[in-house]
Amino acid sequence: MRTTISTAGRLAVVVAIVFTAGSLPLRASATQPTPGAAEAAAAQQAAAAKDCPAALDHFEAALRADADNLRYGSDYRKSVIACAAYDRAIAFFGKLTDEHPGAANALLNYGYAYVDKIPAAGAITQVILANSALTLFGKSLDLQESWLGLYTRGNSYLYWPKVFGRTPLGVADLEKAVARGDAEGNRPYHVRAWIALGDGYWKLDQLDKARATWQEGLRRFPGEPRLQARLDKQGEELTALIEGSMDPAKRVDTDLAVLWAPQ
Amino acid sequence: MSGRATWVLAGALLFAGGPLAAADALGAPPAHPAPASTGSARASLRFVEAGAAAGARLRHHTHKFAGAYADVLGMFTSGGAAAAAGDYDGDGRDDLFVTDSDSGRTSHLLHNEGDGPDGVPRFRDVTAEAGVGGGNEGSAIVADALWFDADNDGKEDLLVARFGTPLLYRNLGGGRFRDETAASGLSAFGNTIAAIAFDYDNDGRVDLLFGNYFKPVDLVALPDRHVLPNDLDNATNGGGVTLWHNLGTASGGGWVRFADTTKQAGLAAHTGWTLDVGHADLDNDGWQDLYLACDYGTDRLFWNQRDGTFADGTAQAIGIDTKKGMNVDVADYDRDGWLDVYVTNITDEYMKECNMLWHNDGAAPSKPGAPPARPTFTDLSKETGTCDTLWGWAAKWGDFDDDGWPDLFAVNGLRSAGPDNYIPVLVEMIIRPGVDFTDVASYPPIGKMSWSGFQKKKLFRNLAGGSFAEVGAAAGVDNEGDGRGVAVADFDGDGRLDLFQTNADQESLLYLNRTEPRAHWLALRLVGTKSNRDAVGARVTVRAGGLVQIVELDGGNGYSSQSSKALHFGLGAATHVDAVEIRWPSGAVETVNVPIDRTSTVREGSGVQP
Repeated sequence: MRTTISTAGRLAVVVAIVFTAGSLPLRASATQPTPGAAEAAAAQQAAAAKDCPAALDHFEAALRADADNLRYGSDYRKSVIACAAYDRAIAFFGKLTDEHPGAANALLNYGYAYVDKIPAAGAITQVILANSALTLFGKSLDLQESWLGLYTRGNSYLYWPKVFGRTPLGVADLEKAVARGDAEGNRPYHVRAWIALGDGYWKLDQLDKARATWQEGLRRFPGEPRLQARLDKQGEELTALIEGSMDPAKRVDTDLAVLWAPQ
Repeated sequence: MSGRATWVLAGALLFAGGPLAAADALGAPPAHPAPASTGSARASLRFVEAGAAAGARLRHHTHKFAGAYADVLGMFTSGGAAAAAGDYDGDGRDDLFVTDSDSGRTSHLLHNEGDGPDGVPRFRDVTAEAGVGGGNEGSAIVADALWFDADNDGKEDLLVARFGTPLLYRNLGGGRFRDETAASGLSAFGNTIAAIAFDYDNDGRVDLLFGNYFKPVDLVALPDRHVLPNDLDNATNGGGVTLWHNLGTASGGGWVRFADTTKQAGLAAHTGWTLDVGHADLDNDGWQDLYLACDYGTDRLFWNQRDGTFADGTAQAIGIDTKKGMNVDVADYDRDGWLDVYVTNITDEYMKECNMLWHNDGAAPSKPGAPPARPTFTDLSKETGTCDTLWGWAAKWGDFDDDGWPDLFAVNGLRSAGPDNYIPVLVEMIIRPGVDFTDVASYPPIGKMSWSGFQKKKLFRNLAGGSFAEVGAAAGVDNEGDGRGVAVADFDGDGRLDLFQTNADQESLLYLNRTEPRAHWLALRLVGTKSNRDAVGARVTVRAGGLVQIVELDGGNGYSSQSSKALHFGLGAATHVDAVEIRWPSGAVETVNVPIDRTSTVREGSGVQP
């Protein structure tokens, strides 16, 4: 689920709709304030002051005002991680998505909330959390197919050991994600799908296809170090690199800020 | 699924600073001395499997349950293949007690008759005449075994731990035993999977600690289906531990009696799924502390408070883990004067827990009269290369190449059966929303499927304290059995430590150590007089070849197995020993002159026996 950062990247489609890069949500206008903006600002202040209860309360208020706001959800989860309030976030997003069943971005953030808890859980609970996240990513895609959703779910599948047979599902999602990235002009974060797709082929023991994918990605994103590192390595070194990137004990970066960062 | 009076005398004066002070008394070594050279060539670890030739190849049988949930209960009780090494007849050779677990099956007492002309020891099955084969009757399932001198008469008595009530056999001498369970007070039902004998209050008698896996429910009758873990990473509905205080022999006759002191000792709050228990003096205060390896959740470390009670020091000492603890064994692997702990967990394609090599970081000496400073531990399994032993079971320390640095043999493998893999089937259940993990009916049958099977055993060679090299294949011990226990002993008396491996539902293996070139060694059999007769808890410090080695005599550490009570020290190329010092459990400290390349007996207060 390292995917997440990537996820953030995939955000492209959704983000392009909901956000303007480097700005607040598009829903804001000169005459009509973005719903929840004041609460979000208060939350950011509280988070900066390390006031967990206040930050979480304000973020939740912001999301109640604008449930599908990807950025509010991402920022909320950053505070949740800082405060180790994983179960609170899962419960909150559960209620929020019940109340807003059409909110595809809220479902993504709900899934990320499960991902965020994984490093704090035991090995078997990690499996349960990861599966819950996958289910939610799928629900989000059912509502709205996006680069972010495809990348997120596709990358999530790759974390499952081969014995579970989920890698082909991940590759299918990631093939769609790279196609979407091409169609959307390949923003910098789209490179994550190319990396993950190559990793998926590698996991399926299709090394030639993996290398071709990383090379193709490098053609689109010249100098990308993660692609180059994979192309530079073979055998056990490559295995260590890829498997190391999918270590469930390591926190997956689910911060979506890359989606609205200045390009 | 699948898992440790007071010394206050001379010891308090001489060892107030712990083993480092002892080392100083012996001539202070460098903090990290260079390894003793073994001569012109480094020895190549090599073992030869000789179970059949030795008459020590025994097939274990797990208990076969009946009824609708037989398959599931079988999965959760797939242990029981245990071995205990001990010299029950005092002839100087370690014998073996090997368990079996299915109804109608008998365990086996194998007497070591000495080496044959081929250098292979010969074992004779003396179960019938000894009268110790029973245990798998009714609802009881034999799970572990332990030699210990309950009555300090110099003859090793035998405890058979069970899912059920334990059995205690008194050694009458002459190769005969008598069942004294009923009079001993060991009458409580428990699903005991591990047992150690150690003197927790230093009163000169060894006590018993049982590690219990399930809560005390009759699994054969199964009155309630909800007996499985209530959480697969943080379970709290296991059997915990039971501490039995040895009251000695009752006045007016009778034999040894035990009293359940679990609650008084402060151990009753632990309700985890204990899979192994280990003891050692982890804070160098002369009192035995405890480490509990727990399946489905948090291991526990208890500090001995020197008043008959223990304090839970888990959070500060090792932190709260969620792993599947399987084994506890203790050694000072880096020769820094503090005992370290090795715990196996599960590391496989689908679960990457990693084992734990708890490096004892030590503690500053406390002021005279003040409570001892408690060490903290750092897990260095990844850094030392001992993280991954797959689905771990027993792992035992032993200086197999006699270079002065303890090596590590780890067995693994849950169930080697058909080509289909149970894991995807199991995970489908695990991820089902709302599933009740405690209910045996929730779990899919395993049928002929394999589950973490066909795993190669690991032998880690200690590269002078900082790291290990895995040499299982080259040493010839990388079998693919479904390993459970490992008893380490010099069965053929050649000065090289051998291995006896038990396997669940498979035959046992006897690996004779044939490592060349040979290095020097010494071994000690300790006899307590004021201390418990077994001298369990005695700490021996050997200074030779620039190394200071510290070893404690344990009373059964390590999953499903007990190693020899003869303390073995590799000396490398050293041709003499500078000093041997024994800190007895009574607190007395004794310095003795010990010859090399042989086993010596040391009697407390009387030195080396002729």
